[in-house]
Amino acid sequence: MVLVRGSRVAAADVVSLTDVTKVYSGRVRALDGVTVGFARGSFTAVMGPSGSGKSTLLHCAAGLDLPTGGRVVLAGQDVGALREPKLTAVRRRHVGFVFQSFNLVDALSVWDNVLLPQRFAGTRPDKAWAREVLARVGLGGRERSRPGELSGGQQQRVALARALAGRPEVIFGDEPTGALDLSTGREVLALLRGFVDTSAATVVMVTHDPAAAAWADRVVFLADGRLAGDLVAPTAERVAARMTELTR
Amino acid sequence: MMLKLGVASVRRRPGAFAGTFLTAFLAVALISGSGLLLHSVLTAGPGGDRFAAVDLVVAADRSVELTTTRDKGDEVKVKTKTERLTGAGALPAELVGVVAATPGVGTAVADVAFPVALDVDGTPVRAPERASVVAHGWSSASLTPYVLRDGVAPAAGEVAVGAELGLAVGQAVRLTTKTGAREVRVAGVVTGGVPGQAAVFVADRQVTDLSGLTGPTAIAVGLAPGADRRQVVAALDELATLDSARVHTGADKVNGDLPGAVPDYVGAISIFGFVLGITGFAAVFVLTGTVSLAVRQRLRELALLRTAGATPRQLRRLLGTEITLVTVVATVPALPFGVVVAHVVAGRFRELGAVPAQFAVAVDPVVLIAAAVLGLLVTRSATSVAARRAVRISPTQALRETVTAARGSRVPRVVGAAVPAAGAVAVLGLVPLGGPLGMGMGFVSCALLLCAAAALGPILVGGVTAVVSRLVGSTGVLGRVAGAMTRAESRRVVGVAIPLTLMFAINATMLVNGDITAEVTAGQQAARTAPATVQVAATNAPGLPLAIAERVVALPAVTGSALTVGTKVVVDQEGKPEDYPAQGLRLAGERALDLGVTAGDLARLAADSVAVSGPLAAQRGWEVGDRPTFWLADGTRVTLTVVAVFSHWRGFGDLVLDAGLVAAHDPRGLVGAIHLRGAPDLAGFPLAPAEAGAAEVRNQQAAWELMVAVSLGFTAIAVVNTFAIATGARRREFAGLRLAGATSRQLHRLLDREALITVVVALVLGCAISGVVVGAFSVAQDGRWRLFADPLRYLGMVAGVGLLGLVAGAVPARVVVRLRSLPQLG
Repeated sequence: MVLVRGSRVAAADVVSLTDVTKVYSGRVRALDGVTVGFARGSFTAVMGPSGSGKSTLLHCAAGLDLPTGGRVVLAGQDVGALREPKLTAVRRRHVGFVFQSFNLVDALSVWDNVLLPQRFAGTRPDKAWAREVLARVGLGGRERSRPGELSGGQQQRVALARALAGRPEVIFGDEPTGALDLSTGREVLALLRGFVDTSAATVVMVTHDPAAAAWADRVVFLADGRLAGDLVAPTAERVAARMTELTR
Repeated sequence: MMLKLGVASVRRRPGAFAGTFLTAFLAVALISGSGLLLHSVLTAGPGGDRFAAVDLVVAADRSVELTTTRDKGDEVKVKTKTERLTGAGALPAELVGVVAATPGVGTAVADVAFPVALDVDGTPVRAPERASVVAHGWSSASLTPYVLRDGVAPAAGEVAVGAELGLAVGQAVRLTTKTGAREVRVAGVVTGGVPGQAAVFVADRQVTDLSGLTGPTAIAVGLAPGADRRQVVAALDELATLDSARVHTGADKVNGDLPGAVPDYVGAISIFGFVLGITGFAAVFVLTGTVSLAVRQRLRELALLRTAGATPRQLRRLLGTEITLVTVVATVPALPFGVVVAHVVAGRFRELGAVPAQFAVAVDPVVLIAAAVLGLLVTRSATSVAARRAVRISPTQALRETVTAARGSRVPRVVGAAVPAAGAVAVLGLVPLGGPLGMGMGFVSCALLLCAAAALGPILVGGVTAVVSRLVGSTGVLGRVAGAMTRAESRRVVGVAIPLTLMFAINATMLVNGDITAEVTAGQQAARTAPATVQVAATNAPGLPLAIAERVVALPAVTGSALTVGTKVVVDQEGKPEDYPAQGLRLAGERALDLGVTAGDLARLAADSVAVSGPLAAQRGWEVGDRPTFWLADGTRVTLTVVAVFSHWRGFGDLVLDAGLVAAHDPRGLVGAIHLRGAPDLAGFPLAPAEAGAAEVRNQQAAWELMVAVSLGFTAIAVVNTFAIATGARRREFAGLRLAGATSRQLHRLLDREALITVVVALVLGCAISGVVVGAFSVAQDGRWRLFADPLRYLGMVAGVGLLGLVAGAVPARVVVRLRSLPQLG
């Protein structure tokens, strides 16, 4: 596994950002020349104080938002050169999402939710894999349930199963444990870690919680839209210490 | 506190209230518009008063008055009902002298008013704005007064005419009255007079001859100088009652004029009452739906306020404050818009002849205030209905991902639906829909069924949705998702489908019922006139004098004939006098008119007998041989023997009397149509082939369709509005679907399928409701069950409403989710 310094981009990266700038409404510089790569099979946490641009980084990296300047390559595709609906097709094929709000479709059952991206893509869903993923997140047998009938932790695990069911090259998480209590949050993180370790999945996760970041292989720090260093093999204490420095 | 929050909430997010605002605006505008129209016809004066310049008018009663006394055990109830006559009874000729001799009377002028028709070489001379042309003796000219502009007063064989008729002194014109047609010379042109009637004056000594009346229709009285008005009135009253006449004073004097000369607002009152009823109902209905949707989309916010410590009562107050604010703001532009609507509709109705030409909209601030208050009451009560459940939302819902209102018991819904449904069944089952109340009652039962459908909403729509959504679901993944969404969110489907159901059911019922009436009428008309080989009507005047018509039917080539004289006859409907269209009929030779006699024999029709339509006979329980009492057009009370019951009454009349009897007692008394067998040479008579009554039916149909257009417009805007609200509230859901990998185009197609499901559900319900009402109405007309009269028109309506729904669904979807847009997060 190659861990790359934030200032360079390596060929093995699933997602790479080069000198990415994002300006909102002409004035607010959310990202200011960020260059960072995320290696295949790695688990990266993105941290920074409020307003440091971490969510913007995630949105740009995932093709949910287009950068004002610079280059984003996602699974070998130059995102900046793509427009909707091509962009959706690329996201659908290569990316899975887990958000703080679970973004499940209430009208559909757990099973239909999990298979929804592949149905939208018009591909034949890999039902065996979907069933296995659901079993691995501990929801085997709940296929017929509605999201509204599940607890928050269970809903997030459905979202995780949905993200994984399409065998994406990278999973993006935006505060995936933000709406969960400590122990359910820990379960979701353990699942993410497990998928990285056993299935060679790639995870990029924005969080503000040092304890959550400690599950990652590497933590990338952002401050005022710029990269502010990183930390390999983090522990909660070291992450917390860096965060204290950044906010000072 | 809640006031402040409410104001802030509306001010900060006006967009969230745009839908409610628009609905409230339209509702208040329509309620105020139709309220103004109804108020204007109700308070419309009878136009100019020809008797304005005199003090008192003695005239026969212009209405039939019936008083019933019902002994209810503990109290005796006395009810008096009246019905206006269409003619004027003549007073005894010698009464003029008696009145003139009464102490205190200065002048007493006998006025004989009778309708006439003028033509120049067969071309009718018409007064502007469809004013009626009324003739008088020259001595009446002093009453108004009319002043000679050109020429001289008329001698025998001459007339003086109002300037508005556009005739010149010396011109020869033909004057047609019921006693005959005469060539006369215009001796003078007068100015003055009153709007709505054009005057023709004849020599006083020719009056009796021309009018066929035995005495004056009114005596205009001028008081002697210094006379005590009250004493004179009392003295005349005593005199007058002997001859069943009355003394008219003040504003009532105009009622002494010829009824046909005074504008009649009875038809307009029922039309505008109907408009107000429909718009009022649609406004309440649509507002309730819109407000419910708007409240539902704010459930999360309400739950948040609950967590912040708001009680349900406070939330209700908050919602109430907001809606009050929105309604008040909407009322400001709505009232002027309502005034404009009233003017536009009134203008159209004037053109169609559905209201008198001189009808004007009176903008009464009281009506506007009432409309504003009514609008506010409606929005507030709609809010309290919509908020009933929503405000009881538990605070913990704010923390949950999915927010749903508490599900109540089904019992109140079922009860709320059963009551109006039972009402509709009662109306359809008990009211004779074939009669004059048919149209109105059809609408009432339609409205009741809609209320039932709305109350039963989620249950009913859920059932239909379950079927329809599965059909759509078989069209692929998007169909499946759309199907699942509509099933899970059946309340949203209800909210959007019900206005569409309303739009279809109300308008289809009104249009189809109108079509059916027209179709049945045309059918009966055709059956009635089938035996005749020739049908003619006068071209120079509204009809032919009976004497001339008799010369036509006496032509040697005529082997059979039937001539009809239109009139109105008042019937005692259990203490309530009601007027019915009737015909005077004279038959000779072979049968030329087929009235579809079901009992008795029309050949026995004579001056002392009557034939009755099937529905009227059934309703009154009359059989051949019975002797009911009627009042003729001039108020003459007659008792006639029923000699026949007939079935082809539509477009004709409910009563058939002897032509001579009708001609003698109806002021117009002209033969409207002559039905002949044989091939006579009619040259020399001002006659042309004709279909009787067609123009009037067309006008009514046009007025009816205008009303449908107004209600279609309102309901269409409501539908579009509802779709926009429902779609706008789902941004969050759309972002989720985009994240799950849906492209914008896929979302559009998904939403189109949802709209399709909603539209189909709405149309199924709408067709069912209108089908029940139209079916019952149709059976009541002629025993045949129909879902529609004209299949193409019905299909067009289904397609039109369906298309509107689909477009109304598609457009907001494309506005909210732009084709090339990135997922809208947050």
